Formats: sequence, C-alpha cells, structure tokens
Amino acid sequence: MTHKAKSLTLPACILLAMVLLVTTSVEGKEKVTYRLKWLRNVSVIGALYAETHHLFEKAGLDVEVKAGGPERDAIREIEMGYADFGVASADQVLRARAKGSPVVVIAQLFQVNPLQWMYRPEEMQIDNLADLKGKIIGITFGGNDETIMRTSLAKAGLSKSDVTLFSVRYDYTPFYRRQVQLWPVYRNAQGPIIAAHLDKAQEKTSFFNPAEFGVKFVSNSVVTKSQTLEENPELVKRFLTALLTGWQQALSLENQEEAIKILLQYETNTPHSILEEQLKITRELIHPTTNLAIGMIDEPGWEQTERIMQAQKLLPMEGVDFKTLLQPVDGVNEIYR
Amino acid sequence: MLLRRVFQFFVIYFLFILGLMALKYSLNLSDYVIPAPSGIFQTLVVEYRQYSIATINTMTVAIIGQILSVIMAFVIGITGRQSTWLGSFIKVAAYNIQAYPIVALAPILFILLGDGFLTRLLIAAMICYFPVLLSVLGIMSKPIDDIEHFYRVTNRMRWQLEVKIRTFENLTQLTTVVAGSATLAVAGTIVAEFIAANAGIGYNIRIALYQSDLSKILIALFLIGITVAVYQALLELLGTAIKRAWTGR
Repeated sequence: MTHKAKSLTLPACILLAMVLLVTTSVEGKEKVTYRLKWLRNVSVIGALYAETHHLFEKAGLDVEVKAGGPERDAIREIEMGYADFGVASADQVLRARAKGSPVVVIAQLFQVNPLQWMYRPEEMQIDNLADLKGKIIGITFGGNDETIMRTSLAKAGLSKSDVTLFSVRYDYTPFYRRQVQLWPVYRNAQGPIIAAHLDKAQEKTSFFNPAEFGVKFVSNSVVTKSQTLEENPELVKRFLTALLTGWQQALSLENQEEAIKILLQYETNTPHSILEEQLKITRELIHPTTNLAIGMIDEPGWEQTERIMQAQKLLPMEGVDFKTLLQPVDGVNEIYR
Repeated sequence: MLLRRVFQFFVIYFLFILGLMALKYSLNLSDYVIPAPSGIFQTLVVEYRQYSIATINTMTVAIIGQILSVIMAFVIGITGRQSTWLGSFIKVAAYNIQAYPIVALAPILFILLGDGFLTRLLIAAMICYFPVLLSVLGIMSKPIDDIEHFYRVTNRMRWQLEVKIRTFENLTQLTTVVAGSATLAVAGTIVAEFIAANAGIGYNIRIALYQSDLSKILIALFLIGITVAVYQALLELLGTAIKRAWTGR
C-alpha cells in the first residue's frame, strides 16, 4: 500500500463509521414531519414535550416538529407532501374540505377555543350577549375572531350600528389607552402577559368567552391526509398516541416544572409566574373536565362551526360530510380522560 | 406603448396562471391549494367591484406618494448636487435610510401615526423617495463638461442653467427613473396596507390570506399588475411628450 493510500484509509474508516452510526440511529424509525399552527409556545406544549422527552422515538418515529406562523398552512403542506401531520384551525379545515382537499381530522386539541376578548371589568359587565351593545370591540378583519364576534352579535340581535368594530393589529396600545374596550387575545398565550402588564398599573382584567354564551367555534386540531390514514393507520396511531401522551404529560401538575423548562427555551424573557399561569389556562382549555379526553373530537362543535361559517357566507351551503372528515383513531382519542 | 405594456402584462400573468394550473393538475392538488380556473373566474365576478375600488384606493395613495417623493428628490438632489459637505451628507443619509427594511419601520410609523391614509402615504413616499433621490443626485452632480465649460469660461453659468443643462442631457434617464419609481411607490403602499392599514388592495390581500383564499389573491395580483402597467405606460408617454416639447424631436 502506498503512503498516500495509507493516509487516506483512516479518514475513510472514520467517515464510514460516522455514516453507519447515523444510519443505525434512525434505522427502523419512520420519518415524519409535523407542522405546527404557530410558533413554539404554550399552545403547542404537548408536541414540544413529546419532542424533548423522545416520546416520538419511543413510538418508532423520527418526527421533525416544525414551527408554524401566519404564512404557514399545514393543510396545504400536507397536500403538497411537505408535511405528514399538522395543526389547523376548524375554519381552515372546513374551507379546505369544501374545496376538495383530502384532509382529515384525527384529534381536536383545544376543547375550549382560546380566542377570547379581554376587557376591564370596571368598564362593563357581560352577563349576556346583549351587554355588548354600544361597546368598542376589537376584531381582526378576515380572521376567526371577526366570524365569532359577528355571530355573537347576531345571536344577541345586535346590528353593525349597535357596536363599533375596531381593526386590531399586533400592537395593544389602543387597548392600553382605552380606545378599545374589548380586545381579542389567545386566552392562554397572550392573556396572562397582558393581564400581568395591566396588573402593574393596578388594572383588573376579565375575559369574554363566546362559548359561554352558546357560540362554539372549534379551534386547533391535528390533521393529516385521508390517504395516510387509509394506507398507514398504524403510523397515524403511533404518532397520535405519542403526541397525546406528550400533551397529557406536559399538562400534568407533577411535570409542570419540566414543561416550564421547555417553554423557557423559546420564551427566555417570560417570567416563571406567567408561564405557570399560561400552563394552568392551557390545561383548562385542552382538558376542561374528565369527561372530555385529551384530543377528543367534539362533533356537535364542528357542526356549529360549519353553521356559523355558512351563515356568514364563508362556506357553501352544501354541508361537509363529517363522517369522512372527523376520523378519531381507534381508542387513541379516549386514552387520557 | 400603452397597448404593448398591457399586452406584455397579460402574457406574463397568463403564463403564471398556466404554470400554476400545470402544477395543480400534474400533482392532482385540490382547489384549496390551487384554485381551478372556474373558481378564479367566479371570484373575479364576485370580487371585481370591491377589489377594483381597493386597487384605485391604493393607486391614489401610491401616485400622491410618488409625486411628493419625486418633487422632494428633485429639490434635495439639486440642492445637494455639488460636492459640498451637505451633498455628501445627503448621499450617505439616503444610502443608510434606504438600507432599513420598510417592514421593520412600518410598525413604528403605524403606532405613531395610526393606520390611516397618512401612514400609507408616508411609507409609499419613503420607499419611492430614496432610489429617486440617489439617481437625481447622481445625474445632477455629473457635469456635462462639453457644454458647461463654455458658460463657465464666459462667466455666465448660474445654478438654474446648470440644472437645465444636466436635466436636458439626461432626460431619457430621468424619465426612466420616474417611471420605474411608480412600481416602488405601489409596492410600498401595498406593503403598508398589508402590515397595518384599513383600506386598499394590500389590506384585502391580507384578509384573503386569513381566509386561505388563493383565488382572491390571484385576482388582486391581476388588478395590481394591470393598473401598474397602465400607469407606467402613461408615465412613459408623458416623458416622451415632455422630451418632444423640449427637444422638438
């Protein structure tokens, strides 16, 4: 063997060993991509917990959890083959289904919609929907909150002229300055942060939850392609079991510190007390009672969401076939009561 | 010129739609991912009126913003054309401010000025202003020695004459810069509307995105494209008319 060949043998062996090591570590694990709806925060703590604690690996899966964002659409990515599973809101799912998308819902994450309105109790008391009359209400035009609020107003028999609708942005200044009386927030994520901010100014806060007044609009769910469910039900079952286990463990009181530790990796400046509050509220939204298992699909809620969207001409009147759309996985959606 | 511009836009737009359709049907994608031609047409019929009004609204802001920025760019460019400290300061400031992404500045402007007409106008003017200013500065600070030399040696050179000579000699370039800045003004206005405004086609695109409705976005792009094509062609015609009136050619 020449000197040159000898000198190349060692690096080649190291390279081969590294390749073997890498391929062995993922060998036998199916590669799966999971697209979140939003950035890594408390609203996706279940997936983050499952990722950090290797619950997906234990289920024989190599899952890449990808952060979402306003420009991301999990359903489109699933259809294009860029993701296998994803999180989408009910309105996205219904719109997609109405346009022929082969998307199916395998679990519903939030049993109570976290999209609620924050207000100062000193300014108003909301005992029924008619109490919204005369109020200045923030909404994101085109967003879910507009649909929910318009439904709430219609249910109370209030017309557009009975309230003032204010176009909402990322900036809370109009609410802080009292230019707007009700401001839409994600109850579990933004709610505790703004409440703490106002608390410093000795201002109290309350939340208006339309679901308490009969306006039920389903929020985030786990979706996949119908083909994936038909051709690989075992994969779907393993993925969903690991994911829901992640949610169950993340929301368990005994794992609270561990969940906060995970959140602190992404929200380094958020105080511990706020993260604790965020987790507490998330627990109430994901697992409000022991009757509702984590991930359970609330079919009547979906039907009402469809009716709300149809009433606002956001969906065609031909209804969606919920039997083919909502596909709870054998036994999995019942595990964690 | 006008017809050619519109025709060119149609070719580009329909090639783009053809590309999308090729992707849709080759990958068997649903109408949710890429809408079918019939869906796009239906959306056009339903939204045509509202989107046309929104596009006109956007164009109004963009045109006012462009006019303001072109006037300002000419005033500042002429003032700062000489190689004085002020001239170089204006150049450096323009380069620096141009480097800031407007998406980072826009939220600050919206907080300070609200989300109405003024903020949109300011953002449109800002996006359009600096490239025009730099071009005007470049043109105005470059002497036309062959002509200017005569007036200098005969001591008859005044600043008005200097500006006139340099404008006359670079008329085609200046016309191109002004026509090109129209696209910048429109883009600036749309970005502003997309970020935080309450009106205009950018605002409608944002709503369509919330509703995951690609048909609406395609219709908005069509209306924006055709309006910009017409406006740019009109600016070029205006430039040609000015040139003809001035040079007699």
